[in-house]
Amino acid sequence: MKVLVIDDSKPIFMMVSQMLKELGHEAIWAENGQDGFEKVTANSDLELVLLDWNMPVMDGLEFLKKNGAESFCKAPIVMMTTENKPEKIQEALKNGAIDYIMKPFTADILENKIEMVCD
Amino acid sequence: MTNPEVYKFFSDYVYQHTGILYKEQDYYRLDSRFNTLVKKFEVKDASELFNLYVQKITPEMHTILIDLCTNNETYFMRDLKPFKAFAKEGMDYLKETFPNSISYNIWSAACSTGQEPLSLLMALDSFGDKLNLNKYKIEASDISTNALDKAKKGLYTGLEVQRGLPANLLIQYFSQVEDNWQVNKDLHNKISFKKLNLLTESFPLNEYHIIFCRNVLIYQDMENKKKILSKISDAIKPGGLLFMGAGESLIGVDIPMKQLELGKAFCYVKDS
Ligand SMILES: C[S@@+](CC[C@H](N)C(=O)[O-])C[C@H]1O[C@@H](n2cnc3c(N)ncnc32)[C@H](O)[C@@H]1O
Ligand SMILES: [Mg+2]
Repeated sequence: MKVLVIDDSKPIFMMVSQMLKELGHEAIWAENGQDGFEKVTANSDLELVLLDWNMPVMDGLEFLKKNGAESFCKAPIVMMTTENKPEKIQEALKNGAIDYIMKPFTADILENKIEMVCD
Repeated sequence: MTNPEVYKFFSDYVYQHTGILYKEQDYYRLDSRFNTLVKKFEVKDASELFNLYVQKITPEMHTILIDLCTNNETYFMRDLKPFKAFAKEGMDYLKETFPNSISYNIWSAACSTGQEPLSLLMALDSFGDKLNLNKYKIEASDISTNALDKAKKGLYTGLEVQRGLPANLLIQYFSQVEDNWQVNKDLHNKISFKKLNLLTESFPLNEYHIIFCRNVLIYQDMENKKKILSKISDAIKPGGLLFMGAGESLIGVDIPMKQLELGKAFCYVKDS
């Protein structure tokens, strides 16, 4: 399936994209929330969005809130961030993220989260 | 090069005490375990270790060896479907089959570091009817002292809590302690943990409504598997359920249980 990775770090995108490839998925990249919004709009066949929290221009939480107001994204959104405080997790879930991956994580964890979210 | 006699001595000892089988072609999997023991007991190599163990095996030496030779791999909500089926259809089934039971006895028979019994409780609470958790008596046991110690602490790393556990359950049932996660007391205290060897010890008769015995019999040969399963079957109440691991089955084992499709999972029901 096609997965959008929204993260301002290219190395992180490369790493996640490699993990996804090994799981048989295709990754596309957006470098911030605004770019993510455009990529979502241009790719109607997206099945999953992996969303970083801290990014310039539009951060992950703003992306979630924008989607909460406009519902432009039909695919499930999973946060993927170094933010690991329970309050942050709570806030992301409250704003529409379906699950949450704390960095660092392993390919195992990514696979498991994908299975649960996309089942 | 380690002497085959050394491998044989240790694999025989482990087999005899746990049923865990290291076949000749698996001997190399003992090497890293020997290394750990060599450091631990400050001896030169595996043959000195052997000299130490052939003289006398103290209870401590026994525990360390057995701990090392178990594979404690586990994660929360392992395979998910059995936990959902257990909490929803499984509970409906119990209510119907045991209308007079005021509480249900559930046993996680190889609980490793505790993820399985905790998952049972979280599943009941979040996928089930939100029944009063006091209706359940959860026992959990394992042969490995190390694994049990961790289970009794209920403290898991960021990586461990992400394996199998959706984030909503994480923040609902755990609190953060530095970079680790501590399971909430009210959940944790519902589980009674104890050390138990499935192969050598006996179990209470007709005691349990449900037993989870998952991913432990795969390390046993057929003869021991039959022996353990027949004790397990005796421990389940007539009409009670057995959940095994994905890919495990009772094929070739002659005990009075039949396969039952429960929600999206399969389990076994004991004849009544
Ligand atoms: C791979 S773990 C499975 C844990 C959990 N049931 C699951 O499915 O994720 C296997 C566990 O079985 C335990 N074990 C192995 N042989 C045993 C025996 N003879 N009696 C009791 N426990 C045993 C090991 O210590 C280990 O923790
Ligand atoms: Mg970032």
